[in-house]
Amino acid sequence: MNCIFTEKVSSLIDGELSQTETREVERHLMSCVECQEMRADFLSLRTRITNFETSLQPTVQNRALKKILATQRRAPALGFQWSFGKAVAFASLLIIAAISGFVVYQGSKSTQTGSSVAVNTPTPVPSSTVQQHQRPQADASPAPKKENEETTQPRQTPSAPKRKIVREPRPGEQFAAIPEPPARPADARPADAETMTAMHFEKSETLLRSFRNFRLNEAGSATEVSYERTRAQQLVYQNMMLRREADARGDVQVASLLETLEPILLDISNLPDKPDTDAVRVIRERVERKNIVALLKVNSIALARANDD
Amino acid sequence: MASEDEEFTMLFQDFYPSLCRFLECLLGGRAPLAQDLAQESFLQLHRTAWGTLPDGEARFWLYRVARNMAINEFRKSNTRYRLFDRVVEAMRPRARNPEQEYETQERQTLVLEMLQTLPEDQRTALLLREQEQLSYREIGQVLNISESKVKVDIFRARAALRERWSKRVKTVGASAS
Repeated sequence: MNCIFTEKVSSLIDGELSQTETREVERHLMSCVECQEMRADFLSLRTRITNFETSLQPTVQNRALKKILATQRRAPALGFQWSFGKAVAFASLLIIAAISGFVVYQGSKSTQTGSSVAVNTPTPVPSSTVQQHQRPQADASPAPKKENEETTQPRQTPSAPKRKIVREPRPGEQFAAIPEPPARPADARPADAETMTAMHFEKSETLLRSFRNFRLNEAGSATEVSYERTRAQQLVYQNMMLRREADARGDVQVASLLETLEPILLDISNLPDKPDTDAVRVIRERVERKNIVALLKVNSIALARANDD
Repeated sequence: MASEDEEFTMLFQDFYPSLCRFLECLLGGRAPLAQDLAQESFLQLHRTAWGTLPDGEARFWLYRVARNMAINEFRKSNTRYRLFDRVVEAMRPRARNPEQEYETQERQTLVLEMLQTLPEDQRTALLLREQEQLSYREIGQVLNISESKVKVDIFRARAALRERWSKRVKTVGASAS
């Protein structure tokens, strides 16, 4: 790897270079064998890594989804919110109590110190003044206490409804959480493989229609297919799993349709950001030749009907 | 609420398999563990962050959390041999014919072995690029590193894998002859 362009080759295949840099590196590639080999190797690595198949089974996926959605019904997050709310209410009460206590104490202290100054001025001994200074503090403490009691009582009265507000929703929330579960399974998507396959067929059909129908730019110029590509990437994993599942349960029709669909999805997902019109046209022709859009439509309807029955 | 659940279900169905695959590659093929961690990531998203994240952020959030969990798992059980994982893997139903299955298995094992030779940060960056098709900027967002670091990591990962691959091909060629 002696060539100075090697790192740029990596960025080139990722589409992360500016137009100028891309042109520069591509021009360089025409003359540099080392970089050509590197690009080929990097692309081959990409294919190997991209083609890695997860061993995830649809049943595991469905179980995981059910588990997650069920966890929400117990509403640990809401429980946390309430306890957090309680904590906030309690903290604010403490702060209010502290502030009002301090204000009352300051007020009483100023009146007491005023009187103590009048008493203390004739006393020459500092020790006694200290004692006397301490005393008013000690004496003053019951007064704010009384006042505190007075202030805490009105504070307790708002705190009581506050607590009620905090507590009231709790049982309400539980009631809200308990009756909901029977309704939610209907909201959650049915989890069996056939429904998933039907949904997958629908999604794939939509994707292929979109891919078939968008307008190609003229004269072989680049076409934006990033949406279709991302969608195909998402669908290709699911396709692999569903195919494996269909194989396992011996559903030959579905398995063969998924098998036909898979390379098309792979081709779309492996398209560069702005592919040549030729590359797009080749895939389109394959879609047309295999009549896959119609097959997907028929099969998704058949599966959906079977599920309804 | 129902629509939120539906949205979550769609996100789950779109990304759970790819998150599992990402974790499986990151963890060296420990599929059951990968699936558990992916589930845990979605669970956390559902419990705490769902609805609070800006549009399109959930995916990055998931990968970030999943990767952190995987790193914790490396630390916890790096030396522990996961027999259970192996047993589950061995019991996994296989649908294709044995030859195909064997070939796929070989190919997959080779990819995993190669990936395991890379440092964790390079491996993660490469997987996010190749399998999840994230841009350098997005990878930087997930891993909390700069774009230039992502670029360098990915290049180094590719270069290292390329070298190991060619060495392997040479050794296999030599032993065959």
